Amino acid sequence: MAASQTQVTEHYNYDIIKKFSVMAIVWAVVGMFVGVWIASELAWPFLNFDSPYISFGRFRPVHTGAVIFGFGGSALFATSYYVVQRTCQTRLWAPGLATFTFWGWQAVIVLAALSYVMGYSQGREYAEMEWPIDLLILFVWVAYLAVFIGTLMQRKQPHIYVANWFYLSFILATALLHTFNNLAVPVGLFTLKSYSLFSGPQDAMTQWWYGHNAVGFFLTAAFLGMMYYFVPKQAGRPVYSYRLSIVHFWALSFMYMWVGTHHLHWTALPDWASTLGATFSIMLLLPSWGGMINGIMTLSGAWDKLRTDPIMRFMIVALSFYGMSTFEGPLMSLKDVNALSHYTDWTVGHVHSGALGWVAMIAFGSLYHMIPRLWKTEMYSVKLINAHFWLATIGVLLYITAMWISGISQGLMWRAFDDFGNLQYSFVESVAAMHPFYVMRAIGGMFYLTGMVLMAYNVYMTIRQGVAAEAAGTRAATAAA
Amino acid sequence: MANEQQTSQGVQTTGHVWDGDLQEFNNPLPVWWTYGFYATIVFALVYWFYYPSWPVGSGFLKGMGSETYVNAQGEEESWHWNTRAKLLRETQEAAAQQKPWFDKIASLPYEQVTKDAELSSFVQSAGRALFSDNCAGCHQTGGAGKIGHYPNLADDNWIYGGSFDKIHETIAQGRHGYMPPYAEALDAAQVDALAHYVLSLGGEQADAAKAAQGKDLFHSHAAACYYCHGNDAKGRMDIGSANLTDKVWLWADVPGAADTAGKVAAVRKVIAGGLDSGVMPAWEGRLSEEQIRVLTLYVHELGGGK
Repeated sequence: MAASQTQVTEHYNYDIIKKFSVMAIVWAVVGMFVGVWIASELAWPFLNFDSPYISFGRFRPVHTGAVIFGFGGSALFATSYYVVQRTCQTRLWAPGLATFTFWGWQAVIVLAALSYVMGYSQGREYAEMEWPIDLLILFVWVAYLAVFIGTLMQRKQPHIYVANWFYLSFILATALLHTFNNLAVPVGLFTLKSYSLFSGPQDAMTQWWYGHNAVGFFLTAAFLGMMYYFVPKQAGRPVYSYRLSIVHFWALSFMYMWVGTHHLHWTALPDWASTLGATFSIMLLLPSWGGMINGIMTLSGAWDKLRTDPIMRFMIVALSFYGMSTFEGPLMSLKDVNALSHYTDWTVGHVHSGALGWVAMIAFGSLYHMIPRLWKTEMYSVKLINAHFWLATIGVLLYITAMWISGISQGLMWRAFDDFGNLQYSFVESVAAMHPFYVMRAIGGMFYLTGMVLMAYNVYMTIRQGVAAEAAGTRAATAAA
Repeated sequence: MANEQQTSQGVQTTGHVWDGDLQEFNNPLPVWWTYGFYATIVFALVYWFYYPSWPVGSGFLKGMGSETYVNAQGEEESWHWNTRAKLLRETQEAAAQQKPWFDKIASLPYEQVTKDAELSSFVQSAGRALFSDNCAGCHQTGGAGKIGHYPNLADDNWIYGGSFDKIHETIAQGRHGYMPPYAEALDAAQVDALAHYVLSLGGEQADAAKAAQGKDLFHSHAAACYYCHGNDAKGRMDIGSANLTDKVWLWADVPGAADTAGKVAAVRKVIAGGLDSGVMPAWEGRLSEEQIRVLTLYVHELGGGK
């Protein structure tokens, strides 16, 4: 059995996965560093150093671009290429095209970051890239879709494993969202500036249809795909319920497409559209929890592993944060709750409980599982994984606690009236009141970043040890021959 | 926990195996999950029943909720629930709550308002909110001002006058402070001499010889500073020319300069470059007369009005 598995392993195209895994870690360190920097700018504004290039407005999309598309995107490319090969028992279709997705995607991240620092932005959240970069993304994405479907079609397994449904829905939905949200007319062939095809509320609605589905498909469905492979693999147990996986997959895919308008409550958006966004968000709660239940229940019977296996801990904590933030999200999408939460730090905290708690934690767990297998070795240090786990957990908790308190305080201060019916606080007073929480958030981010640096070191040493062992093996084989 | 294990043990897998050991149990949907999902659908139905929801034809389902407000003709009107109607109703309710106080303040002379404890409290509350929203952007929180840009309203120094009527005039009509630049009319030594004189007027250290020369220039036809600032250099409130004999600095950042040379440079810059940026916008038309009256009382109180 072991021998035959090794042979199969030789079969798979791991080179591209290795490249994406390394870049996922590089972008995580870069993106989280920029995140800590801008969080610190909010707490201590002198850190702007009066330079437009590193001001919050330009650095913020550098942060989101590097962590979502650089770290998250590279981790998804890596794991999806790994999962689709192993569960289809076949090599990647069109390896040349797969290599293009690597270099193309890395070029997108670098060009996007450079253009933001230079001051170029479409002004669409999470879609700030100007049109030439959008075109590059489109080419890369079509190549990705082709490689993924091509690989599925040449599978040597009769059934398509559940993780692949999620990855495929993420690739398809992202293609759709990216294309329609970036329909724009360039001012000229040699300018970066372009104007959106849509105007007014339609433009805002298109943007948030994209924006929330970037969360729904890029940061949720795709990472559920990751979860569906790596959690049962790491736990060594079957997935809890096949039926639940089907039902929640279709419910999730259907519901998510409707919820974007909950970002536009109490604006010029028609009220009926905002109502639909709120209700589909509520109906999304249980479909989201389907993934959490399937993940956590897969572990039941293997709880003892939590004591010894820090990778398992990453996964279970990721699922817990996933459950928590998919409960918080529908709550915040109700009109009346949103009237309090919108435009406050609560939203920022919510996003980060999903991003740091769920997305990054499940990616860490999966990478820690996958990397030693890619380089045919063991992780350099389990102690460091453990330290990473605790630093990350403390970091998230500090971050979201700070943002809950500051967000709800902001919301309450903005609507506080005195006995005469006059506003009790001016805006700037609410800003001043946020300062301690901005400091606390920045410290939370520093914890998280420190954990990430430990991971980078641990992975570097693991790869070095894997490469050295392989070289020794080759030498031994040559000597024997 | 024990129950969950039993469920899993009693249940078959789907029979598919991937990648060596990946399998799936075929557990049924958890009952609480199924009913929870139905409950959210019921919740959505209730929401759709109350709020505007599905688009139908060229319109949309209006929902059963409604908002009542006063329309432009002064008649009460009900509309299906929508954010515009809700905003109208809430602002109208808030305005109605405050109307008695505003009316009283509009009908009484300023002096009498200040003697009424309840009205004074209202002025403090409403004035603070109005000031924070409209004035603090320039004059800063609490009216502290900013040297080189915006006058301090919290001291008892007034440029255009600190009486109720003058403050009202300033807020309602706005102001435009102007001083011509002297860089071309005078040479550098003359500007320097004037700067020393102005500093000596303000009780700062200055070169006595240069200050004396500056004093002559000040009263001469060549510079003609006395035209606006007066023979006694105490300024004229009717045109808003600064009193140079007090220790209050608005344009030249004398308090922020480290040494005498820095102070001289700060004053020289104003004399040579003149001023055309002392613009305060007119608030008449943007704020109601009642609001301007409240702000007048508030600013009067802030700065020890006359």
